[in-house]
Amino acid sequence: MPARNFASTRYSGLDQITAANAGQLRLAWTFSTGVTRGHEAAPLVVESTMYVVTPFPNLLYALDLTQPGAPLKWTYKPAPALAAQGVACCDLVNRGAAYFDGKIYYNTLDAHTVAVDAKTGKEVWKTKVGDIGRGESITMAPLVVKGKVLVGNSGGEFGVRGWLTALDAKTGRLAWRAYHTGPDKDVLIGARFKPFYSQDRGKDLGVSSWPGDAWKIGGGGTWGWISYDPDLNLIYYGTSNPGPWNPEVRPGDNKWTAGMFARDPDNGEAVWAYQWSPHDLYDHDGINELVLLDLPIKGQTRKVLVRPERNGYVYVLDRQTGEVLSADPYGYITTSKGVDLKTGRLIEVEEKAPLTGKVVREICPAAPGMKDWQPSSYSPRTRLLYIPHQNLCQDEEAGQANYIEGTPYVAATVKMYAGPGGNRGVLTAWDPVGRKAAWEVKEKFPVWSGTVVTAGDVVFYGTMEGWFKALDARSGKELWRFKTGSGIIGQPVVYRDPHGKEYVAVLSGVGGWAGAVVAGGLDIRDSSAALGFVNAMKDLPQATTKGGMLYAFALP
Amino acid sequence: MRLALAGSFVQQPHSVLNPASPQARLVDRLWDAMYVTSIVVFILVVAALLWAAFRHRDSLEQADDPAQRRPLRTVVILATGLTAIILFVFLIFDLSVGRAITTNPGNDALQIRVTGHQWWWEVQYRDSLPKDWVTTANEIHIPVGRPVVFELRSADVIHSFWPPSLSPKRDQIPGNPNSLWFRADSAGVYRGQCAEFCGYQHAKMAFLIVAEPPGEFATWLAGQRDTAATPTDASARRGKAVFLASSCVMCHAISGTPAGSRIGPDLTHLASRRTIAAGTLPNTRGNLAGWILDAQAIKPGVKMPPNRLSSADLHALLVYLETLK
Amino acid sequence: MPLRYPKRISGGCHPERSEGGETIRARPLFGSFATLRMTSLRLWMLGLALFACKREHRDFYGLPSSAAVTKPPVREVELVPGGVAPADSGPGPYEENAYAVSQGKTLYNQYNCSGCHFQGGGGIGPPLMDADWIYGSRPENIFETITEGRPNGMPAFGGKIVTDQVWQIVAYVRSMSGLLRKDVAPGRDDAMQVRPQEQSTPKARRVQSAVPKSAELP
Repeated sequence: MPARNFASTRYSGLDQITAANAGQLRLAWTFSTGVTRGHEAAPLVVESTMYVVTPFPNLLYALDLTQPGAPLKWTYKPAPALAAQGVACCDLVNRGAAYFDGKIYYNTLDAHTVAVDAKTGKEVWKTKVGDIGRGESITMAPLVVKGKVLVGNSGGEFGVRGWLTALDAKTGRLAWRAYHTGPDKDVLIGARFKPFYSQDRGKDLGVSSWPGDAWKIGGGGTWGWISYDPDLNLIYYGTSNPGPWNPEVRPGDNKWTAGMFARDPDNGEAVWAYQWSPHDLYDHDGINELVLLDLPIKGQTRKVLVRPERNGYVYVLDRQTGEVLSADPYGYITTSKGVDLKTGRLIEVEEKAPLTGKVVREICPAAPGMKDWQPSSYSPRTRLLYIPHQNLCQDEEAGQANYIEGTPYVAATVKMYAGPGGNRGVLTAWDPVGRKAAWEVKEKFPVWSGTVVTAGDVVFYGTMEGWFKALDARSGKELWRFKTGSGIIGQPVVYRDPHGKEYVAVLSGVGGWAGAVVAGGLDIRDSSAALGFVNAMKDLPQATTKGGMLYAFALP
Repeated sequence: MRLALAGSFVQQPHSVLNPASPQARLVDRLWDAMYVTSIVVFILVVAALLWAAFRHRDSLEQADDPAQRRPLRTVVILATGLTAIILFVFLIFDLSVGRAITTNPGNDALQIRVTGHQWWWEVQYRDSLPKDWVTTANEIHIPVGRPVVFELRSADVIHSFWPPSLSPKRDQIPGNPNSLWFRADSAGVYRGQCAEFCGYQHAKMAFLIVAEPPGEFATWLAGQRDTAATPTDASARRGKAVFLASSCVMCHAISGTPAGSRIGPDLTHLASRRTIAAGTLPNTRGNLAGWILDAQAIKPGVKMPPNRLSSADLHALLVYLETLK
Repeated sequence: MPLRYPKRISGGCHPERSEGGETIRARPLFGSFATLRMTSLRLWMLGLALFACKREHRDFYGLPSSAAVTKPPVREVELVPGGVAPADSGPGPYEENAYAVSQGKTLYNQYNCSGCHFQGGGGIGPPLMDADWIYGSRPENIFETITEGRPNGMPAFGGKIVTDQVWQIVAYVRSMSGLLRKDVAPGRDDAMQVRPQEQSTPKARRVQSAVPKSAELP
């Protein structure tokens, strides 16, 4: 599965590579994907095969790990609609595949979910789950829980109506679909729904917290990560930003966007919900990973979920009830003063709220937030969460919001730049119990890659210049680095090959929202390009070029 | 003279001399005071001028006599002093009117956001429940006797919101919301006008304020909250298809349909409005047809482009638009 | 301190040929009646010259007629078999009219072109202010791109945007990469300035050299 385990810790129990010997890591083999868009996926290793999903056109490669050099076994080409490129907000990425019961499941950009036979590479089924004509696309990696493939849509910038869908893993037929806006029956809110905070209780809040029928085009998709707790039988996942970005045209809390749900995977019924940013002002999608941990909080062990959120706070929530136990800033924030633990609400700073026709300056964190999709990892040995994130601020002017089906629905001009310190990226090791950072490593460019941590106490991550680095998980000291061909925005994985040897692998291929300036060949003279991210990345084209290559490293 | 002025406008409600709100009445009273004072001063000045022109020539010859000059000096000093006092009183009066107009309207005030566009008015009724926000254009319904707070904005250039019978004007500046409030005392339809030159069709940028009893207003507002009626007959259904397939959908919004662009007025309840094109024409089928086909002939320079539609499509479109009550 | 005045009346639109300059010494105010008279005369003439400027004609949207909307021949590539290429159809209808180009700029933002191409730098769609034109930079190429759409994600706006407005947008899009005259290209923004003005964008040199996105398919 894409996040190593259902709890999304991205922790590998392998300990051949340790802090003591990581300096001797050598390149073992490489594989070119032939695609040069942003490679955000995690390679998936199942038994003796590695599966690699590329960005659009979403090819699936199977590599044979039993042989030296991992030769190609087969390629699956789903041939997604070319027009889907026109409704992908932030480069043509794909975040990976999932394996279940002899099949590989993943999503294509044109809103289809495919199941491919893991042995032969033959398509088992292909289901259309969304409509690109309405702006829907899919970039997320699915999660398979109890025989159901869970997928969600992207398109918060195109006026879609967000949902999470469960497909039957055997047939690809729709099992249930839960929308994230609209009446309770569409959101699958029923008798079991018990949110912790009073503002989340009431009938049809997904309608009444929107003006008119704006909920029909209100965004709130799911394009990030899903976690699952088998004991409680609950899935946890976040919802994306409400559309359009200009908050003035959508007064109200805009439920259930920029929040999260706990649902029963069997029928999709919502058990509780919480909004990180009610009436989100800055495209702070709530889709980041939710790391399920059992932590000692105030003397007792509690079942919690830890979420480094886009709005700048590391939240610790009770995953049974949805109560916010703590929320602490892990970077520079000007847009809010904290989270009120009584009401669970973010305390926003009024002067920083976007206003139509007015330039609001020094909005920190910027639209990609303190941290975007790039997943963090948690080591039970060091009890630290390794958060790859960015340090960006922005100027924003909201504008007229014209919803024209199939075109973007954003209505804001944005210009991002580095936050205090000038470094645009940070890797923070966060202690969720002590509620403070243990150490941090500053990077020139946003750390747009995921992290992985091993039982050998080594943390791996990549930079957008193309460096692949190994750090000592306890001190943050750099142990080893390797320069790959292109910037790294992928998720490193650690695996053991059929001969028992530990490898670490990562896809190198710059892109994504942060790297769109290189992947899309954008013009750096326009500061607002790629939703304003280009202004913060004007020097990236000098630092790296497009690419698409898998690198696997091992000890000699 | 005032009667004559007022009389000439009696057919049209567009007049500062026909106040219908406490705010407009205060301004009217200030105007009256200034007007009457000016008339008195004018008569006195003319009288003094005549006196100076026709007084006895022999007294002129003795002008050098200091004893004769003293009373004249007194008159000049008195007149100057009186002028200063009058101006000072006007200043105080003016400031007090300004203060009285901008007092706190209270908590039960209706909140309306009016955004000026080239050349029409976007009107949004706010509510504590976001679902009950209402968007319309160019026709502002208000309840009689209840304060109404207007949040004034502009989407492009500086406009100025001015319903003369109800309120003084207030500028709408892009990026800087302004506000004013008033309370209509009597039911009626009051005309308003953009009062800051804003481009080619500034003159044809009018709006109507329909002040009606609270009951009627509530009914109207509830009606405006509904999404657009789904067409039932074949002709209107075809009209809806024409609307969504043509250039209409690029600029106009109709709630309940995929049309959601805010460049032009919201048409969800177009048929409930009295005028089209920001008070330019009565809302009749003929006018609407002419407007759709060639708005430039009616309001040159307007942002609405001419449209080429077959007569059957145009007919269907008109039938559909007429269902949007 | 002697001030140097050019010996001409610079009215902006009809500059007369300069014949060197004349030195005027700064004198006390009301120095001589003659100077005062001359200065005031100069001011009057300056004013007259300004008023006499031929104002640019504003064409509002005309009634569409089937005759006027004939499609120009569209050619996307330089390679033409038979040795003789058909003549270029010249500038688009609005490329000499600053008012129309600024209307194009407004429409470009209102119709969400900016949603994908932003202010020319690109993002979801390709950049428009650079020299790379996937489907050609001629006005008729861009017209076709807007009305017919393109396979890699460009929607087809034909029938949704009236022809006059498409041509205005075409003219504006060409101004983004410096393909229009400087005095016709827009010189200011209505919103936060995020790019150099179209007026001061240097003309992009290459015309057809970009690799279309589809060519990136392995």
